[in-house]
Amino acid sequence: MAHVAPDAPAVRRRSFSELLTSEFRALPIVLGLVVLWIFFAAQSDVFLTPRNLSNLLVQSTVVGIMALGLMFVLLVAEIDLSVAAINGLTSVFMAKIIVEYGFSPWIAIPIAVLLGAGIGSLSARWVTYVGVPSFVVTLGLGLALNGLQLILLPETARYSLSGTGLERIALTSISGPWAWLVLAIGIGAFAALVLSNVASRRKAGLEIPFLQGVVLPIGAAAAFGILVVAILTAHQGIPLVVLIFAILLGIGGYVLQETQFGLFLYAVGNNAEAARRNGVNVAGLKMAAFAIAGGVAALAGIIAASRTLGVGVFSGGGVGGGTLLLESIAAAVIGGVSLFGGRGAIYAALLGALVIGTVSNGLNLMGVENEIRLIVTGFLLVLAVSIDRLIEKATGQQSF
Amino acid sequence: MGVETAQRPNTEVRPSDTPLVSMRNIQKHFGSLHALRGASVEVHPGEVVALVGDNGAGKSTLVKVMAGVHAMDSGEYLFEGKPVHVSKPTDATELGIQTVYQDLSLCHNLDAVQNLFLGRELTGPRWGGRRIRRAESEVRAREVLTRMRLGGMSLTRPVGAMSGGQRQNIAIARSILWTPKVVILDEPTAALSHSAAESVSKLIRTLADQGLGIVVVSHDIHHFVVNSTDRIEVMRLGANVASFKSSEVTGEQVVNAMVGGNVGVNLAG
Repeated sequence: MAHVAPDAPAVRRRSFSELLTSEFRALPIVLGLVVLWIFFAAQSDVFLTPRNLSNLLVQSTVVGIMALGLMFVLLVAEIDLSVAAINGLTSVFMAKIIVEYGFSPWIAIPIAVLLGAGIGSLSARWVTYVGVPSFVVTLGLGLALNGLQLILLPETARYSLSGTGLERIALTSISGPWAWLVLAIGIGAFAALVLSNVASRRKAGLEIPFLQGVVLPIGAAAAFGILVVAILTAHQGIPLVVLIFAILLGIGGYVLQETQFGLFLYAVGNNAEAARRNGVNVAGLKMAAFAIAGGVAALAGIIAASRTLGVGVFSGGGVGGGTLLLESIAAAVIGGVSLFGGRGAIYAALLGALVIGTVSNGLNLMGVENEIRLIVTGFLLVLAVSIDRLIEKATGQQSF
Repeated sequence: MGVETAQRPNTEVRPSDTPLVSMRNIQKHFGSLHALRGASVEVHPGEVVALVGDNGAGKSTLVKVMAGVHAMDSGEYLFEGKPVHVSKPTDATELGIQTVYQDLSLCHNLDAVQNLFLGRELTGPRWGGRRIRRAESEVRAREVLTRMRLGGMSLTRPVGAMSGGQRQNIAIARSILWTPKVVILDEPTAALSHSAAESVSKLIRTLADQGLGIVVVSHDIHHFVVNSTDRIEVMRLGANVASFKSSEVTGEQVVNAMVGGNVGVNLAG
């Protein structure tokens, strides 16, 4: 098919070790996930049933969405420790205006997301203009937001959301032929993106790696999508929350991989001064990153509220962010996002959340206590980063 | 006017009468510090001018004034014979003056193409989120690198995985991507091995042969400055103290002028 012109520069064959630190960086995490699944499948007959796998995916969405938003901040070498508190505060605020003031969820949801984005951009302004490290600003802000969340709650310390229509987010599934239609649209959009890149390369007279650049990505995406949808439709169909996560992953991937904004995030995370000298508005970019993290955290809070049919002290992981904050950071890091900025791809949010969700789900099936779950998750976090380092050491390649 | 200036590839361009940049009698204070006391420098098309001097001699300040990083207090700044006002970096880049900083200002996690275009990406429409036109960028990057005789360089490896010399070359390539007339290089050979410094020297000569004016700040007197430049301006305490033709001078003589030893070799004027 795609023949390379004889005078085109030869493509240097890249060693496996070089690939392991670039295109195949996800390989160890995927292998780790497979090992976990084999282990839990051996421990429990229920683990691999469509019903349980559907649950696992749904359970992973809140942490996954949080990690996805947080990634934008981590990429620019900052951190937002208030995302869980934003998640809690905005969901309580949303519940309050729905329950006490009779707002429609259609209005309350966008308000909550905007509020989250606004809070995020405020902490960014504090970080960039006052010069206090984001670690400190967002730690303090998170505590303050926790306090605000408690103030907003009524004396019963809980707002029930049943009957408000919000519960439908968690209860809706897309089943039967509609599920396959959704998948077809998703794969079609991805294929269109890949093929438009191929078309512009052809127009520019550049060589097109047909197998690596076209067949492999589209084929892999289609195979993965078909597998997931087959499992989900064998149970109840695609849960709406999973679809929301998938759409966010798609948008996030496009932004990070294809757009100037995405490139600037990576540039600023690696060398902010160089980016500034080349005309990048570093402060504005960081503000956008924090706003995205805040808005996405609010969205995750809404989904969590819908799943638990209410909000309360526990929303957003409880005071201090609880395990929600730590698991969101851990998911991003396990997925390969660097806390030092400039490194990590969109799949990190998915894979990281799946690892954490798998451990939680699998140990639960085995009847293991919650304490053990925390210990295992903690070890996996350190292990994931250690494997990254060991690969770098063994291959002598630094991964970016 | 700039009739004799850049953009004439592969023809032997000899220093013409109208300098590209001519700075005369530049004064600059930083508070009570009198950094430049009537410093001057000029560069012609096709010429490589070295600015040398001890630490604090004012050479860095002078090139920063040229690049618009600092505004001068007084003095004359002519570009292609006409007085210009350069008070911020974009003033200089709009005239066609590009600077390669000593730290190179590269992002190590990005590849060569992404670094070359950083901040000036070729992008699609706003509704597509300013999608980067990667294929076109690659073609243009390859053109520039080929013009610099660096055609074999990988466009897709992260710059952090490259050698110091290759990074220096990418930083220089970035400066000439937008077809400037003058390139300022701050210590281009400082952190390089001997062979890498050689290749950077060759590259600088290639650019000058294409009609660019090059201003180099360097401490590498004995190898780089004496062998790879056309003219040497020696500065001390914010003023010019000597000017040499590189082919007619030894490293010893330059160093002497720098430290104020033997001013008998001053060929200036």
